[in-house]
Amino acid sequence: MTTLLEMKNVSKKYGNGTVALSDVSFSVNEGEFVSVIGPSGAGKSTLLRCINQMIQATDGEIIFDDVNVMGFKGRALRQMRTKMGMIFQNYNLVERLSVIENVLHGRLGYKSMLAGSLGLFTDDEKRQAYRLLEKLGLKEQIYRRCDQLSGGQKQRVGIARALIQNPKLMLCDEPIASLDPSSSKTIMDHLKDISDSLKITVLINLHQVDVAMNYADRIIGVSKGSIVFNGVPSELTNDNIKAIYGSDAEKLMINVEDQGRMKAAEK
Amino acid sequence: MKASPKLTNDVFAATDRLPPIKLKKLTKSNIVIRTTMIVLAVLTVYGFVTFNNQKLNFWQNLFATFANFRTIFFQPHFNHFTFSQAFEGVLITLALGLLTTIVGAVVAFFLSLLAAENLTNKTISNSVKTLVAIIRAVPTVLWVLIFAIAAGLGSVAAVIGMSFHSISYLTKAYSESFEELDEGVIEALKATGAGWWQIVFQSIVPNSLTSLISWTFMRFEVNFGVAVAMGAAAGAGGIGYEMFMSGVFYFDIREMGTITYFILAIAIILEIISIQIKARIRA
Repeated sequence: MTTLLEMKNVSKKYGNGTVALSDVSFSVNEGEFVSVIGPSGAGKSTLLRCINQMIQATDGEIIFDDVNVMGFKGRALRQMRTKMGMIFQNYNLVERLSVIENVLHGRLGYKSMLAGSLGLFTDDEKRQAYRLLEKLGLKEQIYRRCDQLSGGQKQRVGIARALIQNPKLMLCDEPIASLDPSSSKTIMDHLKDISDSLKITVLINLHQVDVAMNYADRIIGVSKGSIVFNGVPSELTNDNIKAIYGSDAEKLMINVEDQGRMKAAEK
Repeated sequence: MKASPKLTNDVFAATDRLPPIKLKKLTKSNIVIRTTMIVLAVLTVYGFVTFNNQKLNFWQNLFATFANFRTIFFQPHFNHFTFSQAFEGVLITLALGLLTTIVGAVVAFFLSLLAAENLTNKTISNSVKTLVAIIRAVPTVLWVLIFAIAAGLGSVAAVIGMSFHSISYLTKAYSESFEELDEGVIEALKATGAGWWQIVFQSIVPNSLTSLISWTFMRFEVNFGVAVAMGAAAGAGGIGYEMFMSGVFYFDIREMGTITYFILAIAIILEIISIQIKARIRA
């Protein structure tokens, strides 16, 4: 298996001295489904945003697809970002535009300034958008305005917008944090499918440890800006949880060891 | 884990032994607001009591004023111009308002992109905002008179001055609508590799289009009113100029009544159009 993304000693310090990430190193293989867990403010979001450089890391190397992309600017940065799809907790769609228009936004990085600004998309791109929406079960909604959709539907539009970029990596920033359990499952199943069938690497921030254990090939535990756990879900122990969340697993109403055993038994 | 305090039945026990509880804390801003209100109230009463009325009889003059109003509004007539000339005057005034609104809207659109904090950085945004705030602080009439020094009193000075003020007003309004867009949406488009202009036209503009239209139309209504005043004050022509001539040169208050009805009719039409536009774009 080839390595798609490698983070080498990545740090992020803010001007006021706060350290958001310190010396983070890990690598992710092609097609892998990796979940990042950790308490609020541990640096999960910062970690994700350092990869597509929505936030500029202060130190280290980020090797994506065999190229060190640290410090990319302008055209090169935009080109790199087209290869990384991103979805968000708050979906971040343009509410007043239709579903298909929002999906087509995923092609903006490939377009000239003028064509993109005027929204001139090719027939091919439109067909692709339609096909993606069909696959995600939103065929009936393509002309609906996004503010009329439910949370789960919005997130699926977000996934379609990321997929139409034809990305190698999907960055998911707590995609199910605002969704009900049933929509959450739909979204997680779609993401798993993306990683399994399309061989797109998925890197996902999650609050729900049980969801992470169910879906992820690998779990990265983050606490106070450092990686404290990096391994397969069945290796995760209650001690690891304590190291990540700073309190005992029982108090967090989870018991990862039971869950790990159950999952192993299923297989 | 720390145990949270348990609720017991005391919460419903008699409360008459507790000291009275104030609903509002006496903060600095509360004190300042109250003091200001009291001072203003006192000054208002003082002002009315100590009017210098030059021994005029208040009631007599009040009735005289109403008599004048009656002449203006119940006996309007045409004397120095015909209906079609008055209509032409209204059109000139409307054109003046429309032209300055369009010039203002186009320039303000680009300026407000620079003024919106989520599209540029704080330095640029603050400098543009300060600049337009200064321009806005000076009334439109004064700007027209300032430009009249270069262009001479007349329509040219009126157009430049009114456009100038419209630009600053609309820049503020537009940039505030732009700033309403969630930061996350801009982030999402950046993450797709979209460039700045693409973000502007694909997210900022569609999201704030309705408020852009309603602000622009509102400014058009304001500019129509200002255009009437400019006709009188700066000789910019149109219905305002006719009113000025009737009032100041011919002392024909009946003709002023006619003109007032013309302006009123236009104002009502503009209001109706504005309500219609707003109803359509909300959908």
